[in-house]
Amino acid sequence: MKIKEGFELQNVCGEYIVVPTGIDNVDYSKIISLNETAAYLWQNCCGGAFDIDTMVELLTKEYDVEESIAREDCEMIAARWTEMGLTEE
Amino acid sequence: MTKEEEAIRKVHVENHAFMQQIRHQFAEQNCKSVTFVVYGISMHPFLDSGRDKVVLVPPAPPRTGQVVLAEIEPRRYALHRIIKIDGDTITMRGDGNPLWMTEQFTADKIVGTASAFIRKGKYVGTDSRTWRYYSAIWHAARPARRLLLIIYRRIIKHIL
Repeated sequence: MKIKEGFELQNVCGEYIVVPTGIDNVDYSKIISLNETAAYLWQNCCGGAFDIDTMVELLTKEYDVEESIAREDCEMIAARWTEMGLTEE
Repeated sequence: MTKEEEAIRKVHVENHAFMQQIRHQFAEQNCKSVTFVVYGISMHPFLDSGRDKVVLVPPAPPRTGQVVLAEIEPRRYALHRIIKIDGDTITMRGDGNPLWMTEQFTADKIVGTASAFIRKGKYVGTDSRTWRYYSAIWHAARPARRLLLIIYRRIIKHIL
């Protein structure tokens, strides 16, 4: 999968938010925010295609976390991104 | 955290950083409008803090009666109604503020112009009859505003 074009991760006062770019109306009352770990994954995945393995590798490289736990978290977060329409095949 | 709590969380960002974000959207992202929740009681009774939203468009040529978001002092912002334009000096005041409480600034300080409000979940454009009617009444009621506000805050708010 890959992250759709037209989304930009920004850090506004310590909050990581995903801001749509190049669209007519930006509704800040409904915005997607990411925590630090999710933002780290986003930054490293947004360049191109990635899968759960890529995410697990990124996570275990940066954080002291067991692979099985990392995989569970990555599956969850990838599913959420897809659910929210942030990714495409 | 449950999924629902995770899904909806209120994020408060510092005003100045947020305004920079809006300016960036307007200037560089070709964005035509931004919507966000308003805080503060200065636009009472029309806008309720934390409940209502404003739809802001890139700065339009200022006119009296317009509601604009402007930087009134370095890093201080307000969303108020323009009450007077005198040469380059624009004066605005919050509908819910006392008559003497005004702000002066120049057109370059305008971050955006309100094109609509979302009041109690209902979209009210600034060109709509509702808004013009409200504005006219509010303007006409100037001498009695303090009293009206007190009545509104204590009683009518619970009914309307």
